[in-house]
Amino acid sequence: MIEVENLTKVYGSTPAIADVSFAVEPGEILGFLGPNGAGKTTTMRILTGYLPANSGTARIAGHDVHTDSMAVRKRIGYLPETPPLYTDMSVESFLYFVARIKGVAAGDRATRVTSALRRCNLEEKRRVLIRKLSKGFRQRVGIAQAIVHDPPAIILDEPTVGLDPRQIIDVRNLIKSLAGDHTIILSTHILPEVSMTCSRVAIINKGRIVATNTPDQLVTQLGGKTRYELEVEGEFESVRNQLGAIEGVQSVESLPLADAPEGRYRIRVESQSPVDAGRIISTAIVQSGLGLYEMRRSQVSLEDVFLQLTTEEAIDPAAQETESEIAPETEPHEEGAA
Amino acid sequence: MGIIFANIIAIYRKELQGYFASPFAYIIAGIFWFLSGYFFTGLLLGPDGLIAGVAAQDQQGGGAPVDVAYQFLSLFLSVLGSIALFLLPMLSMGLYTEERKRGTLELLATSPVTNWAVALGKLLAVLTFFITMVLPLMAYEAFALSASNPPIQPAVLLLGHLGLILLAASVLSLGMFVSSLTDSTILAAVMTFAIVLMLWVIDLIADRVGGNVGQAIGHLSLLKHYTNFIQGMFSSGSLILFGSYVVLGLFLTAQAIEAFRFQRS
Repeated sequence: MIEVENLTKVYGSTPAIADVSFAVEPGEILGFLGPNGAGKTTTMRILTGYLPANSGTARIAGHDVHTDSMAVRKRIGYLPETPPLYTDMSVESFLYFVARIKGVAAGDRATRVTSALRRCNLEEKRRVLIRKLSKGFRQRVGIAQAIVHDPPAIILDEPTVGLDPRQIIDVRNLIKSLAGDHTIILSTHILPEVSMTCSRVAIINKGRIVATNTPDQLVTQLGGKTRYELEVEGEFESVRNQLGAIEGVQSVESLPLADAPEGRYRIRVESQSPVDAGRIISTAIVQSGLGLYEMRRSQVSLEDVFLQLTTEEAIDPAAQETESEIAPETEPHEEGAA
Repeated sequence: MGIIFANIIAIYRKELQGYFASPFAYIIAGIFWFLSGYFFTGLLLGPDGLIAGVAAQDQQGGGAPVDVAYQFLSLFLSVLGSIALFLLPMLSMGLYTEERKRGTLELLATSPVTNWAVALGKLLAVLTFFITMVLPLMAYEAFALSASNPPIQPAVLLLGHLGLILLAASVLSLGMFVSSLTDSTILAAVMTFAIVLMLWVIDLIADRVGGNVGQAIGHLSLLKHYTNFIQGMFSSGSLILFGSYVVLGLFLTAQAIEAFRFQRS
């Protein structure tokens, strides 16, 4: 449905994206994931024909986005980062206008506009001026604008940015409900969004695609580790030596523990071993006479994969530092949306 | 072809709706109507007006008979032309700057609409708004001048206003091009005004240059060709000049929008 091959775009002398290739199958939702400034918006703009690429090709439904731009424009719905809205129009008349310029036949317009209003839960606001709408509603009008002509391909640039948790859930459900009939690319820098809405992920960093796969497979492919967090009492060096000797254990590190009693601290153990190392680890600690107060197993998440792929020195302690900093920050998102 | 036409109509309708919903457009129209009404009564009926002047001339019992209706019409239209010169840049300044600021240019640029269809739709809409500003004036002119003896020919009246509308179309088209170059509404208005003012008086400059070059430059003058129209002279040369300004404005706008997308970082 959407095929991108070796796309490169250079601004001045700095490449915004380099050699980007991926494909999206019909009915799929592809999450385009990357830190800010990674080239997500540039790629999307090229796909919509808004920007020309320096080299490479992109095709939507078999039409080249550059040479056959008009055919592509008819077949895409696009929500840019800031929703393009005529604020002095009412929601309904704006959607009629978009339907007209997107070439929806006169007889179908009323049906298409009504269905877009319904899908985006905008029916009560249909006669309200866009200027008077809150940000969440404006975003929905932006999405309605992208689907009003029932395009086979929908491109959404950060559709949930700036919304409150409730609105985020609504928008995500809306996007999920669009899959199947439509092929969707959505960009985001929020990880849970991808695991929740997308059937596939393309991770982009510094203008290059670093991985493409389903969220689950990315975790197993690049993760494959089991992680334990323990609260122990005793000397850290000896704990490290004890645990480091266990087969499959890759790293042992201490984590900050707030208001811990004297001598107690938290450690994180990462194990590559296919067998569950939990038993061996706990036995080792108890046998060496250290105190074990808590032990928890956690799966490596998409977040870790993402950080591993987008941070150059993943093993570097500084990078690990950011990891522990970012993790609690993104966690509430996940809870809020679950 | 039908699709392109439908697109132009869609843009036209949206823009026109925007004008009639915008307080700013009404303010412009209000100023225009106030000034033109003021000059209308002042020039015709005021103490230094045409009627008073002719009456004084008659009392002194001298001079050739004056066609008051005809003289008044060309005088009034030349005043209207000057007022329009100030107000038209304010109508054209938002045509593209607003699209750029709101990000809606991205919507238009990713829709199956060509740049020039957008530009043409916008120009037609703003021109329609200007024509609705002029129509009430034509009504009261026709009313007042119908009392004149000998009666004024309707063709002269219509030709004069056609000239005014063609002048407006040229100015708005160039103004639209200027507005497609910048995000700043004020800058667009000021730049347009500067360009139009220069084209207004370019024949004065041309006189100084002299020779063939001077003559060629002189033909670009908006004032000169507008004067032709309001004096009841229809010249195809003037029509072509105004038409050329309109087409030039449309062409440059479409190119500017295309270039804007390509250079955009």
